[in-house]
Amino acid sequence: MNTVVVAQLQRQFQEYLVSLYQQGFLDNQFTELRKLQDEGTPDFVAEVVSLFFDDCSKLINSMSRSLGRPESVDFKQVDSGVHQLKGSSSSVGARRVKNVCISFKECCDVQNREGCLRCLQQVDYEYKMLKTKLEDLFNLEQQILQAGGTIPQININ
Amino acid sequence: MTVEQGVQAVDQFPVGMRVLAVDDDQTCLLILETLLHRCQYHVTTTDKAQTALELLRENKNKFDLVISDVDMPDMDGFKLLELVGLEMDLPVIMLSAHSDPKYVMKGVKHGACDYLLKPVRIEELKNIWQHVVRKSKLKKMKGIVTNGESEGNSDQNGVRANRKRKDQLEEKDEEEQEQERGNDKKPRVIWTRELHNKFLAAVDHVGIKNAVPKKILDLMNVDNLTRENVASHLQKFRLALKKITNEAKQQANMAAANSHFMQMSSLKGFGSFHHSPIPLGSSQFHGGAATMRHYPSNRTFAGMFPHVSSSLPRNLHNDGGHMLQGTPFPPLENLHINSNNKAFPSFASQQSSLLVAPSMVLEGHQQSTSPSFSPHLEINKRLEDWSNNIPQSNVHSEPDALGWNMFGNSTNQTYFCRDTDFGSSSAAQADSLQMKQQHENIFSPMTVAQLLRSSSANEGLFMGQQKLENGFMASDAGSLDDIVNSMMTQEQSQAEFSEGDWVWVA
Repeated sequence: MNTVVVAQLQRQFQEYLVSLYQQGFLDNQFTELRKLQDEGTPDFVAEVVSLFFDDCSKLINSMSRSLGRPESVDFKQVDSGVHQLKGSSSSVGARRVKNVCISFKECCDVQNREGCLRCLQQVDYEYKMLKTKLEDLFNLEQQILQAGGTIPQININ
Repeated sequence: MTVEQGVQAVDQFPVGMRVLAVDDDQTCLLILETLLHRCQYHVTTTDKAQTALELLRENKNKFDLVISDVDMPDMDGFKLLELVGLEMDLPVIMLSAHSDPKYVMKGVKHGACDYLLKPVRIEELKNIWQHVVRKSKLKKMKGIVTNGESEGNSDQNGVRANRKRKDQLEEKDEEEQEQERGNDKKPRVIWTRELHNKFLAAVDHVGIKNAVPKKILDLMNVDNLTRENVASHLQKFRLALKKITNEAKQQANMAAANSHFMQMSSLKGFGSFHHSPIPLGSSQFHGGAATMRHYPSNRTFAGMFPHVSSSLPRNLHNDGGHMLQGTPFPPLENLHINSNNKAFPSFASQQSSLLVAPSMVLEGHQQSTSPSFSPHLEINKRLEDWSNNIPQSNVHSEPDALGWNMFGNSTNQTYFCRDTDFGSSSAAQADSLQMKQQHENIFSPMTVAQLLRSSSANEGLFMGQQKLENGFMASDAGSLDDIVNSMMTQEQSQAEFSEGDWVWVA
């Protein structure tokens, strides 16, 4: 094992993770998820976020359909979708996505289709962005493991 | 989970508690499942409410707890909550991203044990087992109420096994508590007539001076009677005696005294009965108190006491007042004045014990310090018992009653005739006649006057005391009548009061 390489990778990992928190992509809930990951469930976090991104995709599609025809918007359905998205994003710690959902809900409550569409767009953007970021993070993790190192547990204040 | 784990789970609750988690959001469901695993619960998940119901219906015994999301496409979470509660009576925890109190309220109304907000934290899940315990406790109680209805379900073996363990633990705790409480309580000893007679016989046998609880206990030879029981009874007995003697003395001194009677609030002086001043702890011990100090060691009193009991009028009233209620009035001499119901401190505070224990006192007088002294009847009976030892007429009781009445005003002036030689039945016998006469004298209206004029210290004391109590001069027969009258008016229901013979000096 090349300890220098491992150390370097670990440092990179740490810095990257911290930046994600600092940029608001992630919040404390993500830390909690990482804590739940252990030797018995080494892929737990990856699995959870993967599910999350799948949910996002499905929900956004269905909401998009609901908001599609201006004359017959099913706000109830949209509201339900937003609600669920909010729930899951908060559960994984996807902070930005969650925040968009809050605005989204407000638009939905007043039946602001335009607003909803904008929010929908934003939600879509945010989740995809997060997805990319986390993929990079997981790559770093893999590199560390492959280099024989261990993934550092980082305490984010 | 393997069967093994299941077995372990039962024994290590809440470890292995079986949870059914329902959430249509797969992300949340996975997180929930992991969190629950981290809490060491056994977890089954489904993303459909309908599936959950089926699982539960198939075997409600398989699960201890259900956690369900509120917003689900195929069925409203509240509906699921209701159904689970109705059909399976399992604890259900609601989960939602809605923090709106309206939802929380709805959850509670539909029977949710708890309502958690997403994102769920592991700390919250670590305590959810409490709902299982609580519910099973309720079920257990319900089961008891409905006579084992809850036992009916054979399906609930697993759950029941779980609960049984907890229940057993709880039962055990309760039992232990009960036992402890039981041990702390000492069964009250009722000094029945027979028991008291035995007591008297024992005291008589050893002699009042030698009367120690241990000896008395041995002589009495009664099961379940402790030395402490005897000791307290003996104390009361002695106090009664003392009082009577004191009163007798006081009467003599009180003729000239104007002050209120003294009350014997403390019988502690008993030991020094013969020689020491009456311990009058009572604050009401007025001037006259001093006069009471010397006790005559009056054996005759003792003799009288037993008889006195018989002489106590059963009707000693006192229903209305606190007059000496029915306690047997020991020989007049023995009347003691109890200005405050405290004459017999022990009595005052122990109405029931008055009846019971100090039958001897009762013999003398019954202090009905408290209005609620209904036991006077018993005392009367007791007195009878005592008196039964010695043939006596009812006349004797009158005097007692008289004494009682006299003293039994609201302030519970009770007069005790205490006979120092209480226990000597033989002496009592010898004296009984004497007493009887005295009693007669004392208690009849005329005898009251006689009493007043009597040179007998006791009588005088008695009257004097009465007067003192009432603020009257006791020396005047006429005034005695006044006293009586006033007392009578003071006293309310003296119904039983005068059997005729005894004058109630109120």
